[in-house]
Amino acid sequence: MTDLAPPPVADPGDERVGGPAAEPVVPAAAPARPARPRVVPLALILTAFLSLPLVVSATYLNVVSRAAIYGIVAISLNVLVGYAGQVSLGHAAFLGLGAFSSGYALSEMGLPFPGALLTAVLVSMGIALVLGGVALRVTGLYLALVTIAFGLFAQETLFNIRSLTGGGAGQPAPRPDLFAGDVAYAYLCIAVLALVIAFDWRLTATKAGRAIQALRDDERVAASWGIDVTGYKLLAFVISGGIAGLGGALFASVEQIVAKDDFPFSLSLTFLLMTVVGGTGNRWGVVQGGLLFAALPTLLDQLHANVHVFPFTSITATWEPAIGAVLLLLTLMMFPGGMAQQQGALLRWLGGGPFAHDPEPSGPAQGGGMGARP
Amino acid sequence: MLESIVEVLVFGIQRGAIFGLVGLGLALVYTSTRILNFAQGELGTVPAFVAFLIMAGFSTDTAADADRGLLLPALVVAVAVGAVLGIALYLAVIRPLGSVSPVTSLVATAGVALLLTSVEINVFQAAGRPFPRPVAGGFRLPVVDIIVEWHTIVILGVLAGVAALLAAFFKSAPGVALLATAQDPFAAELHGVPVERMRAMAWGAAGALGALAGVLGAGVFETLTPGLVTSTFLIPAFTGVVLGGITSMVGAVVGGFALGIVSQAAIEIVTALELDISGPPQLAVLLVLLAVLLVRPQGLLGRSA
Repeated sequence: MTDLAPPPVADPGDERVGGPAAEPVVPAAAPARPARPRVVPLALILTAFLSLPLVVSATYLNVVSRAAIYGIVAISLNVLVGYAGQVSLGHAAFLGLGAFSSGYALSEMGLPFPGALLTAVLVSMGIALVLGGVALRVTGLYLALVTIAFGLFAQETLFNIRSLTGGGAGQPAPRPDLFAGDVAYAYLCIAVLALVIAFDWRLTATKAGRAIQALRDDERVAASWGIDVTGYKLLAFVISGGIAGLGGALFASVEQIVAKDDFPFSLSLTFLLMTVVGGTGNRWGVVQGGLLFAALPTLLDQLHANVHVFPFTSITATWEPAIGAVLLLLTLMMFPGGMAQQQGALLRWLGGGPFAHDPEPSGPAQGGGMGARP
Repeated sequence: MLESIVEVLVFGIQRGAIFGLVGLGLALVYTSTRILNFAQGELGTVPAFVAFLIMAGFSTDTAADADRGLLLPALVVAVAVGAVLGIALYLAVIRPLGSVSPVTSLVATAGVALLLTSVEINVFQAAGRPFPRPVAGGFRLPVVDIIVEWHTIVILGVLAGVAALLAAFFKSAPGVALLATAQDPFAAELHGVPVERMRAMAWGAAGALGALAGVLGAGVFETLTPGLVTSTFLIPAFTGVVLGGITSMVGAVVGGFALGIVSQAAIEIVTALELDISGPPQLAVLLVLLAVLLVRPQGLLGRSA
């Protein structure tokens, strides 16, 4: 599949930007003191982010919850696109799988909320295992085709099965009592996002995580090192499906009802766009991409309503997919590393390094699997 | 029973011929540039909307009606627009990206598809527009009581014409140059083949094929909606191409027909057995794709990768 010149496989950046580990980000120009993350600015950013549910008006609390869920989906796609170098064009279907599984577990089986989350994760992982097991045996982008076909099947067939999904009326997915309020639920979503980020961070530090990233860089080299190419690609897809399912379970209880129209095919494209625009391969980048795309429709509507200057007078939320697509194309051509690349200096500084761009353009923070190669 | 079988064949061949047209464009682009072109569907829908504009007297009004008398000139313009769009897509998006991973180019074409669909929705609204067929009506088959639409015959004729043109093209000098480009761009360049021009040409041809598929495909439903070809024909066409063997032009057409017939058979079976399943074609497409990948990943007519 990849006939491109094999780039160096050695991956220096497991503990990349922002990671609290003690690894210096610049081994060559190591400063006298070990690079420690700049705690105060990081804490300020974190506080600003965490206070969001308290400061936004009640109308937009669910946007905050949804933004956190998009962040979770972005991490999920990043495991697949950014680490394993494969692509899913049907991730909305996995979100839907998680959402409907959770709704079914809550309303039909009467499971408690954590049980519903677990059900959602297991169902999504199971489906990912089946689809990936078939598609990833063959070298090439067949997973993309299988996931599109699955996405359409889910939208047209699976999510229409009345006994499982409630048909057009939808499946109720009540929130747990402890997190019944909008503010509390937004914090629950943010907490799960934090857990997912932590999981992703630990994943890249494991043998499996490194193996997955190695086969993104070059399958043949990875195979020659004895890495089970198909097995690790499958692992990446199953993990990705599971995380998306978890996001779906949370998604179900935002509006407390899931209907099949919540998961149109174009949503899968939006998920892919936000991951690439955020910066594939960089967990902080993709999460930002998720937040941006979750907020984009609301943002556009607000600008349209309140800023009476061209171009906002003629742009409404219906242009959101077009704007996303333009952002994607600009990203691919100008900053293949996405928002993470644009913020390269800032992210390095926050991680304890100097305020300068990464000298090595092929580093994972700069582009990962999506990056332009010489 | 016989009637159901004939019906499945008649409708399956109609859809399958459109899948084949879209699939030919996909295979052409894949062969020449190794890119899975997710925007191939929009290379069909956009020219179809241009054709609609011409027939509707350049009115985007929702009440605008398409004048069937103008379909032929509109089709010619649409094919030209498709070709230009294909070349533009190559020059503006694919070439500037350079030699990126196949994932990146697939994502880029998906972005283009989303962009074009969104523009269509904003210009023409989401509701469907009436879209005429070149020849209306149909004829009754002997023996079985089934009407074959003339539109099916038109699509088959166009597909046959395109296939003959492509076959002649690949025998000609530029055709061989294109094949050489596909096999080894570097060696082709050393032999004086203008590699860039060949690739742009392949994308242009794919755009023209897409335009034909768009105009004829909109005629199948007699309705044109934003993203029509992407949502209705692209995925079965992709599956058909995989089934036929992704680098094989003949395979793309054979696979397209197979997918058309299988999808139609799925509808027929679900109706006959009164199963409570919606979207049988989507289910059939997924199952076929999984089965091909399990049993014969190189496709029916493709060579082993």
